[in-house]
Parts: sequence; structure tokens; C-alpha cells
Amino acid sequence: MRFDDMTEAIGNTPLVRIDPAVHGLRNIDLYAKMELLNPFGSLKDRAALAMLRPLLPGATERGDTVVELSSGNTAKALAMLAGMHGLPFKSVTNRMKVPEVKDLLLLLGAEIEELPGQAECLDPTDTEDPLTRMHQALAANGSGYVHTDQYFNENNVEAHLSGTGPEIVKDLDGRAPDYFIACVGTAGSSTGVARALRQHDPDVRVIGLVARKSDFIPGIRTIDEVHEVGLFDPGVYDTVETIGTDEAIDGMLTLIRRCGTPAGPTGGGAYQGAVRHLRELDASLTERRTAVFIVCDRMESYLSYLRERRPELFGRPARNNDHRALSDAEVRDAPTIGVEEARDWPGLVVDLRSPYAYQAKHIAGSINIVDEIFDELLHGGLPFSRTQQVLLVCPVGEKSARYAALLHRMGHPSVRSLAGGIIAWRDAGAELVRA
Amino acid sequence: MPDLKPLHLTPRTAPALRSVLDDPALLTQLINGLGSPLNIVLPDLLEANVEAFRESYRRHRLRGRIYFAHKANRSAALLRRLAATEAGADVASLAELQHALGAGFTPDRIMATGPKNREFLWLAARTGVIVNADSPGELTDLADLVAAHGLPRVRVMVRLSGFASQGVQVISRRSRFGVPSRALAEVLDLLEKHREELELVGVAYHLDTIGWPEKAVALEGCLAALEECQARGLPVRSVDIGGGFGVNYLADGAEWERYTSELAQAVLGKREPMTWNGHGYGLRNDAGTLRGVLGLYPAHRPVSGAGYLDQLLGADAPGLRRPLGSLLLDTMYDLDIEPGRALLDQCGLVLTRVLEVRGELVRLDCNARDVSLEEHGVLMDPVLISRESRSDDPAGVYLLGNLCLEADLITRRKVFLPRRPEPGDLLAFVNTAGYFMDFSATQALLQPIGRKVAVYRDGGVWRWCLDEQYWPVHPRAEES
Ligand SMILES: Cc1ncc(COP(=O)(O)O)c(C=O)c1O
Ligand SMILES: Cc1ncc(COP(=O)(O)O)c(C=O)c1O
Repeated sequence: MRFDDMTEAIGNTPLVRIDPAVHGLRNIDLYAKMELLNPFGSLKDRAALAMLRPLLPGATERGDTVVELSSGNTAKALAMLAGMHGLPFKSVTNRMKVPEVKDLLLLLGAEIEELPGQAECLDPTDTEDPLTRMHQALAANGSGYVHTDQYFNENNVEAHLSGTGPEIVKDLDGRAPDYFIACVGTAGSSTGVARALRQHDPDVRVIGLVARKSDFIPGIRTIDEVHEVGLFDPGVYDTVETIGTDEAIDGMLTLIRRCGTPAGPTGGGAYQGAVRHLRELDASLTERRTAVFIVCDRMESYLSYLRERRPELFGRPARNNDHRALSDAEVRDAPTIGVEEARDWPGLVVDLRSPYAYQAKHIAGSINIVDEIFDELLHGGLPFSRTQQVLLVCPVGEKSARYAALLHRMGHPSVRSLAGGIIAWRDAGAELVRA
Repeated sequence: MPDLKPLHLTPRTAPALRSVLDDPALLTQLINGLGSPLNIVLPDLLEANVEAFRESYRRHRLRGRIYFAHKANRSAALLRRLAATEAGADVASLAELQHALGAGFTPDRIMATGPKNREFLWLAARTGVIVNADSPGELTDLADLVAAHGLPRVRVMVRLSGFASQGVQVISRRSRFGVPSRALAEVLDLLEKHREELELVGVAYHLDTIGWPEKAVALEGCLAALEECQARGLPVRSVDIGGGFGVNYLADGAEWERYTSELAQAVLGKREPMTWNGHGYGLRNDAGTLRGVLGLYPAHRPVSGAGYLDQLLGADAPGLRRPLGSLLLDTMYDLDIEPGRALLDQCGLVLTRVLEVRGELVRLDCNARDVSLEEHGVLMDPVLISRESRSDDPAGVYLLGNLCLEADLITRRKVFLPRRPEPGDLLAFVNTAGYFMDFSATQALLQPIGRKVAVYRDGGVWRWCLDEQYWPVHPRAEES
């Protein structure tokens, strides 16, 4: 395989059979369309290329910025494509809730704008919401932007009508599957694939999946939001069903841990939604059927999403010298001294506040080790010798008392905490200096 | 699949507010004596609301003052009751300042905010309240007044706006108020020039937004501004983060979700209309696609009030990547806040009388400016209070006002009541003390503005007095 550029690696993804021992369906062969293997990481590579390609000649000539409303995958793909042509890319969003995706986009050189929240003192007559205003700004001639407009752009559908869909048919030896299950974001992939499959067999059953209203599954819409999508046509789907965050994560774990497929949440949701829908039919079937679902993207961008929702997946063993293991009595008995005594402290003074605060004001002669780092140091053992006298200082004397108690427990004989912290020091009129 | 069950939006009501509603004899007597609409405030609920914010301060080990944003309600009773707590008052006009001084707030507990005229500045300077300046011009005016009248040095804060973010650009709506944060240096020059007249004590922001990420950018921007002040030898000590902590109006999140889902379906024409003339609350049907933005306050807000403050203080500063609460504590600044709506949570209701019932049209003896829920985009059902208990089926009705104006709709949506109301029944719009009670009330058509009464618990029963008669020393039970 020899290519001239990475865009040639987009598409032609494998269709992989899911082991029946995993999904438990007896009469249905379940296949996953592995869109996560696209070069920029998701099925949106196809749409991004199809939407941007016709705009490129004009954009490169004028040096326009490519702009899109995207919460992640489309933005990633467009940023890479724009970069290949020396064009800047800007993502405007109010939906980007996954921090890794933000950092990734910044790494790709994208500019990100977050739209403002709703007004607290609402003015319902204000029809000029930020999104509408942005659309007007982009539509103006000579705005310096090209807008790929993924929620309304027919090329988003076309990419899958001529790519993803026919590939599935080819890999099933020229036949369309009986069931096709896909998550709906812009509706581009599900609509395009459904059309292609129905050209082969009008009886293909298409199941669209959206998130439950109160759930957030990055990349797809909720049951309400889907109506805001220009490409969304309810007629495409035989049914639209909802999935929850928990189901998406369960499915994701099955794909990751049992199927060698490092899928993201919507891949997991599609798997889980597919099995849930098909299980009922399976019992009553008398002949073999096939079903296909899409694995849209990869797991790596969703670590914080998972950490928030399934902290137990990341359970780490308890660490040594953890201040959380101290008893209340130990903390209460922590060795402290008051401001008067502290003024004549002969030893080292360690200020546990943020460097930012330390720069502005601190006790002359003190050194700064911010609590997070101090905490980390203590896991490894005593960070100063037992003969070194140490006075710990924090804002109000609580954290410093905990660490003094911990150091005491670790065998340090002469550590103290400043009672009342640096605020008591300031309030007593004792001197503070700038760095 | 159209959902034809009645769409309720049940208000969240605290036990004390409930117990007022459970006293129809009192309510009937009040409205018969004082007319419809009648504004009822419950001053004794304020204490717990102040305490909820203070508890959040304690959790974050922070100090600073909780200033009540007076603009949210004109009531004397509420203000006087707050004067009996530890709270301060945020006043935004000359009359509000006079009102706060008269209610018992000493000047050290008052902050003057918003754009100000010379009279307002003079009284603020004369009495020695903190002046939260909206512009450099205001600071110059103030300094001139102080010099010309030989007044003592005035404590000032500077309200900033237009904070810049790094990395991800967090956009905020353009604001009419405050000094652009990039112009801070010029303001500090001005303050140094007027050292004799003005003492800078801190910086401030107030953003009219629900989104906390914008506020995180603003708060971090204020910390940077304070650092710049310190570096120039100006001994600042506090940051004022304004108001906007929000209220949770609805008892049940599922009702809100269902309501908004059905509204979208109605706008798309997939179910019978739920609103007067198919009003879409900002949504519209564009060839089968839903366009526009839902222009409604998120009436179900599990994280609001003190919880919202907690969330903000627990959020990482976008640049320094340490929780904002820890940074405030580390830098030893006081945190001042100006909640209006959130402090008035559960503290009042508007009571009205049903005048006429014609099919699904119910006319009330008040107008849309007296209960400005619609104007503020807050959807919440009123509570029906009948003289005798009738059992009947739920009825969907539109509530109309008493002005001869097509637009005078108290609800633009069909409201589902437990039964069809009858003339003479009462409707109570609960939890309306913050902005929906007297903020917009007018005397158009010479219709009266609702009277206001304070109710309070005494000797196991509810007692009442006219709002202006209320002082936080209740008349004893034996006197009545
Ligand atoms: C992770 C993920 N899954 C699914 C989808 C849905 O695809 P489509 O936009 O074609 O409906 C998207 C789209 O952004 C996505 O990012
Ligand atoms: C400067 C200022 N502070 C405080 C408030 C009170 O806001 P809220 O009632 O939303 O808490 C407002 C409201 O407009 C304001 O303008």
C-alpha cells in the first residue's frame, strides 16, 4: 500500500464479525464496521474530506479559515485536513465537554471558541442567540471563513452513500444486511449508509440510536436535539431508540475487553443498542440474519469521561503515607505553633500554597512547595532529614496540620504547623514580602 | 407518539411556603381586604438562604460578605429582615441606597453597584459605603465630589469585564457594564492620582450568564488584576463576583424534560399546540427541522444558589489549573457575592383572583407585569386555591391578564390545573419574590399595583402585616 497523502487512507475499513459467544445471539451474525481505523481516528474523516474537498480551491486561494461547529471528531479531521493545505481551522462549540478533546485540538493547531451560556436574567425577546449570530457572520461574503456546515451539508451524507454503505455490501458478498444500527450525531453516516443499503434491498431495517435526554454521550445527539439537525429525516429510520451512558460504557467495555476493539462510547452504545434490539427478534427467528453496526471512534479521548462516570475502572492501590489515612485524633494532636513563636522560627519554613499566591506574598525566607507536589513527595518518604526543623504554612492552618501530623507519623521529630495559617499571620500584622 | 397526559410543571415549595398555601382562610381574608393581585413575602425564610451561602464559604474556608442584590425585590420587610442577619446590601440606585440605610444596614455593609448619577455618588460617599465603580468616568466624578465637599476617603472597587481567555477561547456576551480588563492599567493610574480621595479595596465582575466556565475565566482574570494592584503597591483585599447563582424552580426534573420534549414536538407540528398561537419560545419549524434556541430559563436547575457557588469555587482556574476556591484562599482575598434571585428563593408568592372562565380562557385580576414569569422565561404552574374542595378532571387553560391588550397573557402556554377554576377561586404564583413580583409592575390603565404584605409565624399561626409595617421585631402574640 503506497499512498501520496494520508487522505487516501480514509475509508475501506474492515467489517469484523463479533464472536457469538460474546453477544449471545443464536440466529443473527453481528458485524462491526470498524470506522475507528480511519487515519484521523473516526468515521468523520470521510465526511470532513467530502465536505472540505469542493471548498478547498477557493479557500486556499483566499487563505480562508475553515470553521465548523463540532464537539470533536469532525473538528479533529478538519483540523488535520486544513493543516495539510496550510489553512487555519477554528471550531466553535458549546458542546465540547471532554477535556482531552480540547487539548488534542489545540495540539492539532485548531482555534477553539466556546459560545456563552444562557443569560441569567433572560430576555426572551432576544432572538439573536450567539449561534444565529455566528451563522450570519459566516454567511457574509468575504468573511474570511469557509463553513463546512456538517449538520446541513449533503456531502456529509454523500460520503457514506458512496463509501461506507457500498463497502458493507461488498464485504457481505453483495448483499445488504437485514439490520443496520447506528448512532446519530449529524445523521450523515446513518442516512448515507441506509440509502446505499436500501438501494440493494429496500427491506433493510434501520435502527437509529440517540442519547437519553438527560445523558451525555459525546458525538451524538439526545432524543430532543436530533430534531435540530438539518440532515435528520425521521423517515430514514424504522425506529429511533435511546441509549444511556451506562449502556454505552458497558458496550464499550465489551468491545475493548472481549473483542479486541478499542472503541469509544458511541461504538459501545451502538453495540449495546444493537444487541438489545436484536435479542428480542432472535428468539423468534427461524432462518439466519445479518446485522451491522458502526464503531465510530477510539477510546483514548474519553479517559476523563470514563473516570468521572466509572471511577472504579481506574481504582489504584492505596499509596504509602496518605494523609487521608490519618485519624481525627492524629490531626487534632498535630504539633502547631502560634504566630508569635513562628516569628522566631529557627528552621525551614515551607509554604504549601500555590506558586501564584506565594509570588505575591509570603513569609520572608520561606520556600514554596505547593500541596499537590508536597503530597506526591511524601508518598516516597521523608523529603527532609530528621534533624531539619520544619514549619509548614498553608492558608488557614488546616492542610499544614494534616501534613504535620503525617510527617510526625512518618517519624519526623521537629515538624510544626502554623496555627491559623498565613491568614492569621497577616491578621496579626506580621510581615509578608513579595518574591 | 404524541403524549396527551397533562403537562405539569410543579413548583418546588419549601414546607413554610406550603403551609401558607394550606391556609385558605388567611389567603381569602387577605385578598378580600387588600385586593388582587397581592404580593406576599416570607421574610423569615431569608435566614436559611443566607446560611446556605455561608456554609459554602465555610466549606472552602473563605471569608467575605454576602450582599443581597436589592433590585430583585422592592420589599421593605425582606430588606429589614436581611438587616437582622449578617448579610449586606447591594444597592443599584439612590433610592435603593436610602432604603438600605433606612432598613438598618450600616454603611460598612452596603455596596453601591451599577451606573450611578452624582446624587447617588454623593450619598454613597457621604455615608461611606463601598462604591463599586462601573467606569473610569464614575471614579473621576466621585473623586471630584469627595474633594469639592471635603468628604472622607471613599472605599472603591472597580468592576471589570471583557476578560481574555487562553487556549480555548471562552466567549462571553458583550456587556454594557464595567471597565475592559485590558484597560486596568489606566484605571490604576487614575486611582493613584486620586489617592487622597479614593481607596481601592478590590475588583469585581458580574456576568449575566448561567455558564460557569465564563465566570471561571472572569474570576481568574480578577485574581490577575488584583496581583497587578498589589504589584503597584495598592493594598487590595477582596474580589466581588456579583450575582447570578440561579434558582431551581421545579420539583421534578422529569416534568421539565417531558415538557420541553413535547414543546419541540408541538413546534414541529407533531402534536397539538401547547401554546397561544403556537408560540415556540424561540424554537421554530424550518421545513421540518427545529431551528432557533429555546428562550427559557432552565427552570429545573439541580445545581443552583449556594450549590452553584460551590461548583464555581471547585472548578479549576483555566490558566493556573488549580481550583478557584484554593487560589482565593492561597492569595488571602475575601470573596464578596451579590446574589439577588438566589437569596429570595421561596421567600414570596403573588396571589390573584380568578375573574372569568370562558372555556380554556381564564382571566385573572392582575396582569402579566404583576407576575412576570413569562417575561423572564420561567415556566412554573400556579397553585389553585378553591373555596370548597371540588373533585374534577385536570383542565388545560390559558391565563389572561386584566389589561385590554392582546399581549397581556400571564401564560403564553396552556397551564394544567388539577381542575377547572371558577370565578372567585384564587391562584398563587409561588416562589416569585426574585424579580417576578414587582420588578416590572406598572400602573397601565390605572390598574393598581399589587399591595405587599409580610407573613410570619407567631404562636403557631401565620400572622401578617403590611410590608412597610414590618420590622424584624415581631409583635408578640398577646398583643393581637
Ligand atoms: C464519536 C461519534 N460517534 C457517532 C457520531 C455520529 O455520526 P454522524 O454525525 O454521521 O451521525 C459522531 C459524529 O460526530 C461521533 O463523533
Ligand atoms: C451587578 C449585579 N449584581 C448582582 C445582580 C443579581 O443577580 P442575581 O439576582 O441573578 O443573583 C445583578 C443582576 O442584574 C447585577 O447586575
